[in-house]
Amino acid sequence: SLSRTPDSSRVALKLQTRLGVTLLVGVGLLGAWWWVEQEKQQRRRRQRVEQLRTVALGQGTFSLLDHTGHRRTKQDFLGRWVLLYFGFTHCPDICPDELDKLSTVVSALDRDPALPRLQPLFITVDPERDDVAALASYVRDFHPRLVGLTGTPEEVRHAGRDFRVYASAGPKDEDGDYMVDHSVLLYLVSPDGLFLDYYNRTKSPEQIADSIRNHIRNHVPL
Amino acid sequence: MAAPNSAQRKACWDARDQLWQCLDDNNDKIQSCQKFQGDFEANCPAQWVKYFTKRRDFLKYKDKMQREGFTPAEGPQ
Repeated sequence: SLSRTPDSSRVALKLQTRLGVTLLVGVGLLGAWWWVEQEKQQRRRRQRVEQLRTVALGQGTFSLLDHTGHRRTKQDFLGRWVLLYFGFTHCPDICPDELDKLSTVVSALDRDPALPRLQPLFITVDPERDDVAALASYVRDFHPRLVGLTGTPEEVRHAGRDFRVYASAGPKDEDGDYMVDHSVLLYLVSPDGLFLDYYNRTKSPEQIADSIRNHIRNHVPL
Repeated sequence: MAAPNSAQRKACWDARDQLWQCLDDNNDKIQSCQKFQGDFEANCPAQWVKYFTKRRDFLKYKDKMQREGFTPAEGPQ
């Protein structure tokens, strides 16, 4: 018959082989591309972590006394998402406002059972006056999990330096009272102990909570 | 001297708010608001009185700048 000559069947076979080979090569290429993409993403994540490391905020270790008189170090808070504020108990309005905001944020996130529980921290910039007892009565007015931290002036300075906190005590008046001018920020620290984000006075509790939810969702453990 | 507790902070802020409301109603004439000034000073630590007074001055100044604009000082001729 005319339909199947040895030539045409050889052509048909060649076509099948070519198709098969092309398919294999295609799958191989796809696989290689996917692998390269994974590697790229890994590299990007590692770079970002390195960048955060070089920014070197919150890198150090601090050693402070909490408001129950127990010594706590940075290591004690690893494994938790930390939201941290530096202030002082003699502060007229900003610190109570920011701590109220902090409490609102933590309570809002507490309401979502799928999220890990945040650890709110308050570190004093006025260790001369804010001893353990002063902190204990101060933190009572805010979120139940809020931990107050104090120490010697050097220990407190060390913790503040770690976050580039600015703090400057003003002149004492006739009652010995004084103000401490200080930077006003909430700091977000990841469970790996890395500083991830900061929130200034213009940020609302909703904005901060949303930002933290995002960070938690996108978190890649080291 | 212990720091004001939550109730004391609130008492101070309320006294401040009353004073500022009076000043707003009286064109910042402090003479018309002596009672509120007295309450304010009685309920707030001296440092806070100074702080909030400065703050009001600043807020008024900022408000004035935003409403009236400002003419930059004349530079060197």
